[in-house]
Amino acid sequence: MSERPIVPEMPLRRRRTLWGDAWRRLIASPTARLGMAIVVLFALGTILAHFLWLYDPKTDLDYSLKLKPPTLRPTPDVPSIHIFGTDKLGRDIFRRVVHGGWNSLRVISVGISLAVGGLLGLLAGFYESVPLTVGERIGLMAGIGLVLGSIPAWIAGQAVQAVLFAALGAVSASVAASWPNGRRWLVLLGAGLLIGAIPSLFVSPYVAIVCGLLGLAIGAVLTFPLGGPLFSNIVMRLMDVILAFPSILLAIAIVAFLGPGLDRAMIAIGFVGIPTYARLMRATVLSLVQRDYVLAAQAVGSGHTRILFRHILPNTLSPIIVQSTLGLGSAIIWAGALGFLGLGAIPPEPEWGAMLGDSYRFLTSGAWWAVTFPGIAIMLSVLGFNLLGDGLRDALDPRLTR
Amino acid sequence: MRYLIRRLLSLIPTILGVTIVVFLLLRLIPGDPAVAMLGEHASQENVQRIREQLGLTRPLFLDREALKGGDFRGFVDSQYLRFLGRLVRGDLGASIHRRIPIATELAQRFPATVELALAAMAVAVALGIPIGIISAARRNTWVDSVSMVGALIGVSMPIFWLGLMEIMLFAVILHWLPIGGRLDHAIEIRRITGLLLIDTLLTGQWAAFWDAFKHLVMPVLALATIPLAIIARMTRASMLEVLQEDYIRTARAKGLHQRLVLFRHALKNALLPVVTVVGLQTGNLLAGAILTETIFAWPGIGKWVYDAIVGRDYPVVQGGTLLIALVFVLVNLLVDLSYAALDPRIRYE
Repeated sequence: MSERPIVPEMPLRRRRTLWGDAWRRLIASPTARLGMAIVVLFALGTILAHFLWLYDPKTDLDYSLKLKPPTLRPTPDVPSIHIFGTDKLGRDIFRRVVHGGWNSLRVISVGISLAVGGLLGLLAGFYESVPLTVGERIGLMAGIGLVLGSIPAWIAGQAVQAVLFAALGAVSASVAASWPNGRRWLVLLGAGLLIGAIPSLFVSPYVAIVCGLLGLAIGAVLTFPLGGPLFSNIVMRLMDVILAFPSILLAIAIVAFLGPGLDRAMIAIGFVGIPTYARLMRATVLSLVQRDYVLAAQAVGSGHTRILFRHILPNTLSPIIVQSTLGLGSAIIWAGALGFLGLGAIPPEPEWGAMLGDSYRFLTSGAWWAVTFPGIAIMLSVLGFNLLGDGLRDALDPRLTR
Repeated sequence: MRYLIRRLLSLIPTILGVTIVVFLLLRLIPGDPAVAMLGEHASQENVQRIREQLGLTRPLFLDREALKGGDFRGFVDSQYLRFLGRLVRGDLGASIHRRIPIATELAQRFPATVELALAAMAVAVALGIPIGIISAARRNTWVDSVSMVGALIGVSMPIFWLGLMEIMLFAVILHWLPIGGRLDHAIEIRRITGLLLIDTLLTGQWAAFWDAFKHLVMPVLALATIPLAIIARMTRASMLEVLQEDYIRTARAKGLHQRLVLFRHALKNALLPVVTVVGLQTGNLLAGAILTETIFAWPGIGKWVYDAIVGRDYPVVQGGTLLIALVFVLVNLLVDLSYAALDPRIRYE
């Protein structure tokens, strides 16, 4: 008979995770709960309506019911019930608002900005502080060589030259990697001059001079600052150019270029949003790279891809989630603005902004209902995302909570 | 000083990039400006003649055919470099539809947008900063909750809809304010600065001043909402952060009056991020002006550019977009510089 050892009763501590804690903090805040409720309500309503309440905008038309004010019970004049009234074609506004959610809330644009901007920012931030490996250096060099090389190649009309410049990048990078530091530029300058000038000689002496000089310049540009900081600098300057335009103006111009349509409006808004995410991502990564766990990962020899996606990316999630939630709100507004200007959804497709643009001319004749309800829908859904975003910020970054 | 030079140098690639984007976007848009100018039924010859006049037959960037022949003048004689060359000389071309030089029309329309944006910013700052300070000082009271919920609604407001609601309330239902435009057609005024409020004040035309003011109210309210809300939120957050600092505790411990602590010790330090936000929002006002001006028929840059994009008036779009982008870049520069002036830590980085 063995005596059972006496185990003292210990209160089991619940396992806590970062996301679990964040969720509890989020739920604890009344404003975040309100935001979540609005978002869920709009999302559910939209999805259910789209799949269960069939609506064909092309056949929805009844001139006898043109611009009727909201009614709660049938009257001899208006035999059907329209709680939000009807618009200029006699369409029920409530129905169009509910179905408009499918077009207005489907903001894939945030996905575009997030994917492109996030990736650019991630790479820019990482390679700004971490030196490139030999392989990455050759890749970058060949890439820049190809881009810069295609300029003289395009001028001289020779496809061969673009390939030659890419080869120049790769070869001289590998040679330069083994040369002593002070002499590296010699290799590249010489290679640039030769590869630029020789094939051009076959075209004309002028072209040879121009290409040779260009090759020289490219060699100089490539040798001196080559590396992550150069790449990061180029990316961020490009972002500055996009940021130099007011977003709505650039979006309008892009839609004018692509032609109107909901998907194209989304692409335009997404493109305009790229710099926001790239900047945020870069700033976050720059601060993360200094952390001990990234140094540790480098010390044990993890590859760059592994460090980027296993150690850094997960830690950038919380600012990115917050920004994306707030970004969803502003994307809804911008999509509405484009629709209002007639550059979004193509009529008769229901979309909140386009509904406003359709009806605002009737405002002076007193048809307030036609512009009130679609606008309220835009405002409430944006408010929901903003409340949720604020709540997420407090929940995911407890240091900021006061 | 070094900071200033570095910052100015970094503008060069940005501005060059801006000119390329402005140039390219419009050239890539489907549709031929020569056809837009002459109408659909113009003869082939006329279209070709106009295309040559506008320089549309030249290549976009560089002419490689000319280079092969060893002709360097022809090589650089491209649409983009011509555009850039004219730009440097301040020649923006003329509107295709109205044949008015862009620079003339810009000079007429720019003050209207400036008046709108400045008035909106003044309202936003004059209301936003006090609201932010009061919410921070009375943190977690009803005053704070009400103003912060209000600010959040303001941030979520689609301004084109707000504009419509204002028209409905003030113009259609109450008949207090005119629906749109900048000044009643019957009123003639002498223009000095182009800012109507200031012009009418200077010349003492009180009736015209009152009319211009009434026209200004609704667009300014619509335009000011978002910056007002953002400034109020930023001021509150920044004040709360500063109020936790040790020197505030010290000031309080010295027995200083609450108002003195708030305004002399806290506000000065809390204003830095607010200045940034004010600057960035001033740039955004130009963007918001496109929508606001369209709704209120305000004869400014925004409406002009929008109409030109729809009507494919290439030179107008180029001139207007370029101006807006340059103002945007300059405002951002000023923000950075004022930041460096206010916070010495940034200069010596």
